[in-house]
Amino acid sequence: MSAALIEPRTTPTLALALTVNGRPVRVEAEPRSHLGDVLRDGLDLTGTHLGCEHGVCGACTVLLDGEPARACLTFAGACSGASVTTIEGLDGDAIAGELRAAFNREHALQCGYCTPGMMVAARDLVLRLPEADERRIRIGLAGNLCRCTGYAGIVRAVMAVIAERRGRGIPPETGAARALGPVGARTGEAITASPAPHAVAVAATAGPAFMAELGDAFEPAHEFTQSLDLAHPPAAVFAFFGDIEAVAACLPGAVLTARPSADTVEGGLQVRIGPIAATFRGRARITRDEAALTGSVHGAGSDAGGRSATEGRIRYRVSDGPEAGTSRLDLDVGYTLTGPLAQFGRPGLVRDLAGRIAADFSRNLDARLSGGAAPAPAGLNPLRLLLGLVRARFAAWLGRP
Amino acid sequence: MKPAPFAWEWPASLPALLARLAEATGPVKLIAGGQSLGPMLNLRLVEPDLVLDLTGIEELRQAHIEGGTLVLGACVTHADIEDGRVPDVTGGALQRVASAIAYRPVRNRGTVGGSLTHADPAADWVTALTALGAEVEIAGAMGRRRLPVERFVTGALSVALGPAEVVVAVRVPALPEGAAWGYVKHCAKVGEFAHAIGAVRLEPQAGRGRAVIGAVEGPPVLLADARPLFGGRIDAGFATRFDALAADAILREAGMADAVERHIHVTVLARAVAAAAPVASPTPAARPEAA
Repeated sequence: MSAALIEPRTTPTLALALTVNGRPVRVEAEPRSHLGDVLRDGLDLTGTHLGCEHGVCGACTVLLDGEPARACLTFAGACSGASVTTIEGLDGDAIAGELRAAFNREHALQCGYCTPGMMVAARDLVLRLPEADERRIRIGLAGNLCRCTGYAGIVRAVMAVIAERRGRGIPPETGAARALGPVGARTGEAITASPAPHAVAVAATAGPAFMAELGDAFEPAHEFTQSLDLAHPPAAVFAFFGDIEAVAACLPGAVLTARPSADTVEGGLQVRIGPIAATFRGRARITRDEAALTGSVHGAGSDAGGRSATEGRIRYRVSDGPEAGTSRLDLDVGYTLTGPLAQFGRPGLVRDLAGRIAADFSRNLDARLSGGAAPAPAGLNPLRLLLGLVRARFAAWLGRP
Repeated sequence: MKPAPFAWEWPASLPALLARLAEATGPVKLIAGGQSLGPMLNLRLVEPDLVLDLTGIEELRQAHIEGGTLVLGACVTHADIEDGRVPDVTGGALQRVASAIAYRPVRNRGTVGGSLTHADPAADWVTALTALGAEVEIAGAMGRRRLPVERFVTGALSVALGPAEVVVAVRVPALPEGAAWGYVKHCAKVGEFAHAIGAVRLEPQAGRGRAVIGAVEGPPVLLADARPLFGGRIDAGFATRFDALAADAILREAGMADAVERHIHVTVLARAVAAAAPVASPTPAARPEAA
C-alpha cells in the first residue's frame, strides 16, 4: 500500500446537529465527510444515492433548508444546524406523491439509481415553473443524469404534474424570502469545532515513483507548439540543451534525482494549476541530433499513489533567429494525461500552464546563458520534497503514518 | 472520491477570519458554497490541512446599493441573484447570467465571490463581471483594497489575492439608461462549463463600450474600448456593423492560434452583439427563462 493512501491517525470529528426528515439528530462526522456519506453511513438513510461525487450527475440531490442542493458538495461542517429532507422524508409530501404516480404512469424510471435525485429536482420544478413548458423542464433536469430510461418519460411525468397543479389553481412559488447565502449555512454562530490539532497529511510526494516503459509508439492525446526567441546564438542554445541538469534547473518545478544511464534521467516535476499541485515522478529519455540541432525528451510519470499519470514528449529545434547572434527555439509538445487531474483539467488549462512555464523557462534560460546564476526554481521547494520522502520512510518503518 | 482529511473552522467575523488566516501555517483553503472547491477536494486535487468556512460571516451575506453601485457580499449565491433577492442596477443582466449557471442545486449554494476567486476561465461571472466593469473588494490584515475584475483574474485559476486576503464583495456599477447588454455562452450540454462566451456592454449614446471574449485558455480577452469591433464607432446601428474579421484579428493577437477555436469564439461574440438590446430601466427585468 502506498503511503499516501494511509489515512492519518487522528482526524477530528464534528458533533453535527441536523434536522433530518423532521427529526432532530446528532451525528459524529469527520469534517471531510460530505452530507451524502453522513446520511448513508451515519444515519442509514441509503435512499440518497452517490454517483459521480463531484456535482455533475445529480443522484445525491437532497433538500437543504427546503431547497435542492448537492449532498456530495456539501461537507459536514457546512451544514451544521441545517434541515435536511431526503427521499425518505418525501413519503408524505403531496407533490412527491403526485410525481410518484406520474413517474409510474409514464415509465419514468428503470434501474432507479437516478430517481431519488430526479424526484427532488422535479419537485423543485413543479414548485417554481409557472407552466408545463417542456423546454424549461428539460433545462431544469439537465443536472440530473439518467442512464437507462432516458428523459422522455421523466419529462412527460413532470409536465403532467405541473399542468395538473396549475389547472387546480395552484400558482408557482416565486423565489420565497430567505436569507442570502448558500442554503444550509448558518450565520452568526461562532462554532468552534475541530479543536483537535489536525493531522498532517502525508506529503503527496511520498508515493513510489512509477517507472513506465518508454515505448517508441507514443501517440499523444493532446499536442501544441510553442516558440521562444532567445538573444543567444543557436550553437550556444543547442549546447545548453545537452546539459540536462542545467535545463532542469531552468524548468520551474523540475528536480532530478538520478541518472541511470547517459540518455535517461529520473526525477520529478511539480505543476500548479491554481490551487491544484501535482508532483509527477518518473523517468525521461533524451535524444539529440547534433547535425540538425534538434532533440527530444520523452518522459512518463505518475503522482503519489499513481492516481494521475502522464506521458509526454517534447521535441525541440534550434534555428537562426531574426537577427544575427539570436536564435529561435521551436517546441513541439505532446502529452497524455489520465486520472483525476485529467478528469478535472481541460486541455486549455494545461496549455495556459504550459505557456506560463515556457515564459519562466525562457527567462531562466536567458539568465543562465547570459552568465547569471541559476534562479531558484519557482513553485517547488526541494527541501520539502525531501522532507516528504523522509517522513514517508519513517511512516513505513513504524508501520503507521 | 473522498477528500483527504482536513480540519474545518467557521470564523464568526471578518477580523476572526483574517487573524486565523495570518496565523495558519499549513495549506489553508477558504470555502463559501463549495461548488468549485468541493469537486477538487473530492478528487483530491487539493489537499488542505484546514478549510475555513466563510458563510458564518454576516457581512459577506449582504447586498446593498451604494451610490448607484451594487455591492454584493462574496457569499451571495447565484440563486439569490436569479430569484431577485438582491437589488439590481443592471436591468436584469445579472439575473439572466445567474439563472443559467450550472444547475439549480449548484446555484443554491454556489457564490459569486467563490466563483470569481476560483477563476475558472469558463465560469460565467469571470466574463460577465469583466464586461460589466465590476470591481472586487479585498480585505487583508493591512485593510481593504479594490481591483477591477480584469486585474483580479490573472490566469486560468489564478487571481491577485494574497495568502492572507479574502474577497469580501463584488461591486457592480449601474448600467446607464440606454446601454445595451448582450451575453451569450456556448455549451455542448446545458449547465456544463462553457466552450465560448461573448459579452458586450455598449453605450450607443456615449459612443463607447466594452466587449469580452471568455472561456478562453487564460483570463478573458477584454476590449475596454470595443469601437474597433464596429468599424471604429459605436452608435445606434452598432449591430449591423459588427466586424468579425476585427474580432478574429484580436483573438489571433491574444495568442489563440487555432482557427476553429477563433471561429467559435467570434461567432459567439457576434451572437452576443446581435442579442444586445438596450436596457429599459434599472429595475429587474422579467424572470429569466432558464430553470
